[in-house]
Amino acid sequence: MNRSRSLGIAAASVLVVGGALGLAGFALATAAPHQTALNCTPVQGASKTCAITLATYPDSGEGVHGKDGGAHPDWVTYSNDNVNVPANSTIVVTINQYDSGGSLNNAFFDQVMGTVGGTATINGKTVTHADPNDIGHTFTLRGIPGMGTDLFVSVPLPADNNSKTPVILNGVAYAKPVVVQFSFKTGSKGIYEFNCEFPCGGSREGQFGQAMSTYGYMSGTFTVQ
Amino acid sequence: MSDQDNKKPLKLFFWLWAIITVAGVAVSLWAPGYLMPRSMSNNMHLTILTMVVFSVAAAPVAAGVYAASIYMLRTWSYRGDDVPPPAPVIRENNKVVASWLLASTVLTVFLLIWGLGALAVDNSSTGKNPLVVDVTGQQWVWSFSYPGTHVESNQLYLPENREVEFRVTSDDVTHGFWIVNMGVQVDANPGTITTIHTTPNRLGEFTVRCEQFCGLNHSFMDTEGFVVSTQNFNSWLAAQPQRS
Repeated sequence: MNRSRSLGIAAASVLVVGGALGLAGFALATAAPHQTALNCTPVQGASKTCAITLATYPDSGEGVHGKDGGAHPDWVTYSNDNVNVPANSTIVVTINQYDSGGSLNNAFFDQVMGTVGGTATINGKTVTHADPNDIGHTFTLRGIPGMGTDLFVSVPLPADNNSKTPVILNGVAYAKPVVVQFSFKTGSKGIYEFNCEFPCGGSREGQFGQAMSTYGYMSGTFTVQ
Repeated sequence: MSDQDNKKPLKLFFWLWAIITVAGVAVSLWAPGYLMPRSMSNNMHLTILTMVVFSVAAAPVAAGVYAASIYMLRTWSYRGDDVPPPAPVIRENNKVVASWLLASTVLTVFLLIWGLGALAVDNSSTGKNPLVVDVTGQQWVWSFSYPGTHVESNQLYLPENREVEFRVTSDDVTHGFWIVNMGVQVDANPGTITTIHTTPNRLGEFTVRCEQFCGLNHSFMDTEGFVVSTQNFNSWLAAQPQRS
């Protein structure tokens, strides 16, 4: 085999392998989210308003991971990591918070921010902030750079009520949830990302590893469409 | 080969060097205006000026390398199928060596002194009533508080033409506090407060980014910032909810 032919084969191989890697990377980057999207339900009688209900659980035996908890049954999780909502609308969010909690790393996140009126209701009571030392999780939503309108919504989700009348879900007893409700307005079409800002992930300094650093648990996306 | 023949290629070298130097200086002066972000502070102005000065200083050196390469390829390349004749014996030229050493030394010392001066100026404080802003990084949100006002925000508002002292820290892993347009860049380390100063000098919007890979949503960890007039800054502060 002469030298030029060898060089040609080598160059072609590099192109083929590089192209295959590029295609695989592109396919991964643009792959559909692995969870079925939760769609916002229009609220009857209210213009451009829809509602969604989410939950936060102390383990993955509930929500989209299935009864066996999936790959990490002991990780805390949101009920959904992929939510579709309409653009330029008011979204009414209800979150049932089943988990215990503790103190925030950063008390900044005890505030209700970016909601309609700057308030939320916790078990029916209207608040602008919660006790930073008794937080279970937070719902913190922000825009992704270059995609859609800038948006920032953050609502503290207090720790459970230590209810003595637990709720049974799939045969497992959970404390009666703290019900947090708020509304926010979406902007233009785009993808927004939410995560929890309470240190509930473990494994790393700041407790932001594992469930905090894995999509499908304490992180997800809102697709405004 | 006569002396006249020897000098012809050297003329080529010097012409090449001069042309490439002029081109390099022109690019050094022209490019930063298009490639660098808009300057919004004294720090960024110094950063861009440093880049221009260093590029201009480097232009004749780079031109020398390019000119010598072209000169050698043109003058000493061998065209033919036979074994090339022995190359000319390399002779030492003390004037060339001395000139090269002298020029290199002067350039290096110049860059060193300029760089140290720029570093010292970059984080110096005028001490004239700086606005203190506490900056906290947390996966994956920046938060800013203004001591003495009970105001906290996820957006950074700064008044024009007033020195700002950022006190930067992190609540979890190491983040990187980076305001590109202001030439402000410092690590946000957990358990440590690092200070950095700047004076915004142009009204407008900027972006605060994280420049240390900090986990899942690192690439989304940016937020808006605004340089506003003193009056608008005070109005903004007054309009913010006060934390108890």
